[in-house]
Amino acid sequence: MAHANLLTPPSRIPPQTALQLSQKAPLVLSSAPTSSLAWPLSLLFSRETPETWAIHENLLLAALRTGDDAAARQILDRLTTRFGADNERMVALKGMYEEALAKDDKDLEKVFNDYEKVLKDDPTNMSVRKRRIAVLKSLGRTADAITALTVLVENSPTDAEAWAELSELYASTGAWGQAIFCLEEVLLIMPNAWSAHAQVATLHYLSSSTSVPALTLALRHFARAVELNDSYLRGYYGLKLVSQKLLPLLSESSGSKRNAEEDDIAPPKPQSVQKLEEIATAKLGEIVRQYSASKQGQSGYYEAEIIAARELLDRDGRAER
Amino acid sequence: MGQPLVQTIHRDPALFWWILLPITVVMVLTGILRHYAMILLQTAPKKQELPKIRQQRALVRGINLRANANVLTPASFQARKAYMVSAFQEGKFLAEPEARGKPRPNPMSDPAAMEGMMGMMKGNMAMMIPQTLIMGWINAFFSGFVIMKLPFPLTPQFKSMLQSGVGTRDLDVRWVSSLSWYFLTLFGLQPVYNFILGSNNSANNVTQQMAMANPGAGLMGPEQDPDKLFLSEAENLEVLEHRWILDGIEDRLIAKMAA
Repeated sequence: MAHANLLTPPSRIPPQTALQLSQKAPLVLSSAPTSSLAWPLSLLFSRETPETWAIHENLLLAALRTGDDAAARQILDRLTTRFGADNERMVALKGMYEEALAKDDKDLEKVFNDYEKVLKDDPTNMSVRKRRIAVLKSLGRTADAITALTVLVENSPTDAEAWAELSELYASTGAWGQAIFCLEEVLLIMPNAWSAHAQVATLHYLSSSTSVPALTLALRHFARAVELNDSYLRGYYGLKLVSQKLLPLLSESSGSKRNAEEDDIAPPKPQSVQKLEEIATAKLGEIVRQYSASKQGQSGYYEAEIIAARELLDRDGRAER
Repeated sequence: MGQPLVQTIHRDPALFWWILLPITVVMVLTGILRHYAMILLQTAPKKQELPKIRQQRALVRGINLRANANVLTPASFQARKAYMVSAFQEGKFLAEPEARGKPRPNPMSDPAAMEGMMGMMKGNMAMMIPQTLIMGWINAFFSGFVIMKLPFPLTPQFKSMLQSGVGTRDLDVRWVSSLSWYFLTLFGLQPVYNFILGSNNSANNVTQQMAMANPGAGLMGPEQDPDKLFLSEAENLEVLEHRWILDGIEDRLIAKMAA
């Protein structure tokens, strides 16, 4: 488990870490970030650094997540006095606070209308655009959220975060083709993101778990993810899962001479798949063993992932026995 | 007997307190003042309009596609290429589609460009006015003083640099005149400002002005025609040779893991 650091929090925060982060609120709030002296002196004795505000922002997010609304309010007030209520990011943060406090859909609608107003004045405020989409999502209006996101990526096609979100929304509606397209855009922006490769692979796998071309693509993307990061648990997991599905299909199709390539992707050789499966099994076993040997929270893997990996290995072992 | 004669000049100690120190202090303070004046004079960067953002980012998307095409399957790449090339050629992402093919307007009449020039003017003014004033001040009160002696010997070439305002031929180069001290502080205080104000201060504009000699060298400067950029990007995409990085990845991975 990543160490709880307010300055550079991990991109994916498990609940315990979020709690740890938000418990630092009293400490941060106890010391004033800006000097209390009058204007010319305050310039000389300010303790404020750029990190101060990064810490405040991350603390605000953690506090909202753990339901510490009082602390969140205090941090928000501090940020507002420092940057002014009209600051682009402040508008988004304030909106986030209101979203968190919203009790029912009606409150959310109100926040949504505020966002609409902001966007009418300034259509280039991307963070508010994203918040608006988040509200649409939490209201359950997936179709509207998708429309709004397509407008956003149309205007800002270099935003990997937006593409990834759009892909997720499409996947939730079962539109695999679109979801894969969006994730490929993410890959074009960040070609070495192994998590994106793994996600593309997952989508290919989910889109059709019986067709050879889709499984081939899934296998290759998982392989690429592992190639980029050779301790990537999810990559090995997917590699093992997909190659297990692919092997019987390959032997079938090789028996009944495959008709001319419907896709220009040649299926992999069964021997290679077999080997990949063995590698993945070995690696998964190693990771699971390392995890149980190391102290709690030291190995950098999440417990849930380890449990899933162990389960996959067990299932395999039972099948062999 | 080959020892050169060491020149000794008896300086009034008041020279240090009343000339050397004041000039230094005034120079440091002007620098700090200029830094804050520049902050006050700066106008907030103008917000780009949505179509402009779209135009710029669409171009970046094209560049991304060209640079990272190898993550895509051949089929997916061909589809994207066909779409991007035709969209670029049609000028689909242009912020001002109707201005297509027309010559660029004169930058002098463009208000956005004017604003940039105004900013540059302000910077120059903030640099020039105090410089003129201080130079006048030093010339009026302190010209002709020899105020310090450097602790190390120098070649005679430094004479013009260290003794401006003192017209003696035989004076040792190690003596520094007040006007020269002013010039030395003018160009040499950057590290001091860095220490006081942080590294990206605008106290000393000399270096910044040199950097400004080549403006708009960025991706889409105001002088460049976006349509031309799109067309050239479309051409680049069309001639791109596509190689799929996932081709043969299984064998690559097996070889890597076996090693």
